[in-house]
Amino acid sequence: MSSLGARGAKAYNGSAPSNYVAGLGRGATGFTTRSDIGPARATGEETNLSESNFDKFSGYSESLAQGLPYDDDDEVADTVWSEVDAKMDERRRTRREDKLKQSLDKFRAVRPKLQHQFGDLKRELQLVSREEWETLPEPGEHRKSRAAERRNERYMPTPDTLLEKARLEQEVHNSLDTRQMINGGMETVVGGSATPFPGSAGSATPLPGGATPLTDLKAIGAARNSVLSVKLDQMSDSVSGQTVVDPKGYLTDLNSVKVSTEAEIGDIKKARLLLKSVTQTNPGHGPGWIAAARLEEVAGKLVAARQIIREGCRACAANEDVWLEAARLQTPENAKVVLADAIKKIPTSVKIWLQAASLESNLGMRRRVLRKALEVVPNSVKLWQAAIDLEPPEDARVMLGRAVECVPHAVDMWLALARLESYQNARKVLNKARETIPTEPQIWITAARLEEANGNLEIVDKIIEKASKSLALHSVHLEREQWLSEAEACEKGAAPRTAQAIVREAIGLGVEEEDRKRMWMEDADSLVARGCPECARAIYAVALTTFPTKKSVWVRAAQHEKAHGTRESLDALLRRAVSYCPQAQVLWLMGAKEKWQSGDVEGARAILNEAFRANPDSEQVWLAAQKLESENSQPERARKLLARARERAGTERVWMKSVTLERDLGELESALALLGPALKAHPRFWKLHLLKAQLESRAGQHAAARETLARAVKVCPDCEPVWLAAARLEEAHGAVSKARSLLEVARLKRTGARLGAPQLWLEAVRLERRAGNRKAAMTLMAKALQQCKSAGLLWAEAIAMEQRAQQKTKSSDALKACDNDAHVILAVSRLFWRDRKEEKARSWCNRAVTLDPDLGDAWGNYYAFELQHGTPEQQEEVLRRCVAADPHHGDEWTRVAKDDQSSLGWSAEQLLQKVAENMALGRWTGEALDKMAASSSGAS
Amino acid sequence: MSYLLPHLTTGWAVDQAILSEEARVVCIRFGHDYDPVCMQMDEVLYSIAELVKNYCVVYLVDTTEVPDFNTMYELYDPCTVMFFYRNKARPARPLLTAAPPAAAQHIMIDLGTGNNNKINWAIHDKQEVIDIIETVYRGARKGRGLVVSPKDYSTKYRY
Repeated sequence: MSSLGARGAKAYNGSAPSNYVAGLGRGATGFTTRSDIGPARATGEETNLSESNFDKFSGYSESLAQGLPYDDDDEVADTVWSEVDAKMDERRRTRREDKLKQSLDKFRAVRPKLQHQFGDLKRELQLVSREEWETLPEPGEHRKSRAAERRNERYMPTPDTLLEKARLEQEVHNSLDTRQMINGGMETVVGGSATPFPGSAGSATPLPGGATPLTDLKAIGAARNSVLSVKLDQMSDSVSGQTVVDPKGYLTDLNSVKVSTEAEIGDIKKARLLLKSVTQTNPGHGPGWIAAARLEEVAGKLVAARQIIREGCRACAANEDVWLEAARLQTPENAKVVLADAIKKIPTSVKIWLQAASLESNLGMRRRVLRKALEVVPNSVKLWQAAIDLEPPEDARVMLGRAVECVPHAVDMWLALARLESYQNARKVLNKARETIPTEPQIWITAARLEEANGNLEIVDKIIEKASKSLALHSVHLEREQWLSEAEACEKGAAPRTAQAIVREAIGLGVEEEDRKRMWMEDADSLVARGCPECARAIYAVALTTFPTKKSVWVRAAQHEKAHGTRESLDALLRRAVSYCPQAQVLWLMGAKEKWQSGDVEGARAILNEAFRANPDSEQVWLAAQKLESENSQPERARKLLARARERAGTERVWMKSVTLERDLGELESALALLGPALKAHPRFWKLHLLKAQLESRAGQHAAARETLARAVKVCPDCEPVWLAAARLEEAHGAVSKARSLLEVARLKRTGARLGAPQLWLEAVRLERRAGNRKAAMTLMAKALQQCKSAGLLWAEAIAMEQRAQQKTKSSDALKACDNDAHVILAVSRLFWRDRKEEKARSWCNRAVTLDPDLGDAWGNYYAFELQHGTPEQQEEVLRRCVAADPHHGDEWTRVAKDDQSSLGWSAEQLLQKVAENMALGRWTGEALDKMAASSSGAS
Repeated sequence: MSYLLPHLTTGWAVDQAILSEEARVVCIRFGHDYDPVCMQMDEVLYSIAELVKNYCVVYLVDTTEVPDFNTMYELYDPCTVMFFYRNKARPARPLLTAAPPAAAQHIMIDLGTGNNNKINWAIHDKQEVIDIIETVYRGARKGRGLVVSPKDYSTKYRY
């Protein structure tokens, strides 16, 4: 430190010159860091020179020269002044001090000091020995006053938690409770409250502590409950047998005791004041009285409410609402009395009468009240209705007869009366009703329905006709929709004739000329949807008379008849239809089909003959006729028909049908002979080429078949089936490389196709697989999937080709690429089937058939699955659905349906069974190909 | 450790200490030896005094004993450290042009606190104090009236 002091810092002990101001000497100016605060100031620097500090005698209370430095002159002056003061003080000192002492003594004599008072006693304290001091008692223990003791002694109520804790500490358990036994230890003991208290309390040995009172809150609660129940029991079973309290009702009574909150009470008071002023200022105002009464009721003061409403009744006796309110507030017995008063005051009030009647519990009494009411107020519909409702049918009729006289304008009364009367009387009643109320359509409709119910069908139409006229006369114009809904109601109410009559009347109402057809068809459709075929039929009938030459209307009408009518009615309709529009082939064919289906082949033939006459050149009719003949095993007639058809209308289909007919009959030679002129007529029709190739190969002329296909490929290069057939033919004869090249050429030709050519790719892949070139097949498949990314066909094949372990990933890829493709779904369902996940497989099979109901393979797969895993009912169900869907596509399906000789003319059911057999697990071509190839290669 | 550092007991002594130091920075701590903040600061100052003795000298001033600068330098904080160098009126080298001497002032430091005149809190890190003194010395030698502290003491970095 000494070194630091010597070297680092110098000691500046020299005194400053007088009047030296630090800082200023070296020129330092200081600074103001923050202008809002300002520089710090020395304390006491400011002197207060304001008026408040100024005194006239002594001037400013502070020195004016305070700020100046205190120098020698000042010091001299100060000593002089202090000497003067001392002198002045000395002058009368002894006298002043005496005086002060005297006054003090005087004061002490009056009020001596405490220590002087006990001076003598204190002096004796010096005689007290040490032992005596020690044995002095403590002051606190010697209070005698009970009151003081009580005042100072405080008892706090011991908290329950403390008591419980004390009890638990003292408790002794003899056994483990269940929880302890389960957990095998004491660590989970929660207060031991599971141990019932009475057991430990009842033990003979008192607990060791003894001082702690034992309290069990639960026990106290239970005791309180039991006391309450005992009390209730006493009240309910008193010895006299009379119960003071209804024990069940007691608690509900407690519930219904109204507890008003503070705010509610305030509101009620305010409202009460308001309503009081209302009733006082305007006592004739009924609602005010009612509101006041209701307020009291809400506040729970029923007596006050009754009082108020009684005043109200007095003040406005003519107001029925007030009376009703009064009755409502009373008990039922008193309410009757009140209402009797009310009726005396206002005998014509229907409401009061009805209320009075409803108060009567006895039916007879009620009837009497209502009859009395009707005597006073005969023209109230409500009263009549109430009265009639109570009567048995016979009396009701009589009452109704009287009622329609008194209230002639109540339509319901008239209709009810008509319903109760016999036929003849009902007619009379309705006639009278019509005269009284000519503007009510319901009466007319009821009349029509009455007539229809009694078999007078002709009159129905007349009545409705008259109704519309008379209603128009009385300027009642119902909307078309209203009429139609009436008609609907009529049909629902088993009056189809009336419904039809109404429809006929109303259908033309308010419809523009050009809208008619559209509107009527829509109406008919909606009526059918609402379950009213008769009305729809009536609409069609009207439509057909209006548009007899419209084919679409006829077709619709025929479809409606087919769905809802009888065969005869359909037949008649179709006859009329073809007579009106003979050019409509659809109608002819429909008629013929109907006949055929009903087993009347002759009739069908006749219809088709007529159709020929009407449409001599129609291909459809020719083909229909041919089909009819060939299916009814009349090949000769079919042949003749087709020969004539070829002359009259030599279309492609006619030629093709001719060839297929020959083929199906097994006449290969004649079929081939027919194909010559056929191909001459239609050289670009690929089906003919295919047919020819098929026939030739079937006849064993393979070279010719190959030639035919080669020509076909040239003529129609855009047609995939031709290429496929050519490739298959080559493959069938072992020329795999030729087939491969053919398919390649085909793919080249079809590269511009929108979706690629999945069929060609698939065939190429299959070709490789059949040939046993698994690797080549895989690479081809990869290429194919690149070309046609969303072809489910290819994806399905890819899944089938994959190794078993990879099939799952492949299938998920496939589902990503084309989610809703029946082929993929089918392949996935087969995976599930193979893994025996039955439910999943079933749902996926179902998905496949719903996605594409036309895919026969999917149906076959589903059926095969059900055959293996399903119940007979499920198999039946699949079969039924398949027949209904009538599928036509799918590899396996077409193979079975077309290529096989034996399957000719099979029904869908048979086909399905065959397909399912082929598609059983492990037998389907797509899956079995590899195995076959493997086995063959292994063998070679 | 205030008792190990030299105290200046009069305003005159303070002025002389500033004026008579030719080549070194004068670092003065204003405050009270008994003040806790000053104690912390003195501890640091003592421990570095020997290290910086070549370019800085440290003095302590009791603001009650020497109230002369309280107003001038706004000494109302418990502990205030200020730096002086040759009274700053004379630059280190004589200027070529005869400029009028500037008003005598302390060396200002931009600490980021908004108050560039002084350090009015206790710095606990010795190295930081050494750095600040060195920066002051370097700046003052070049004639700077305001130097920038190597570390920003802005309160924004505390949050």
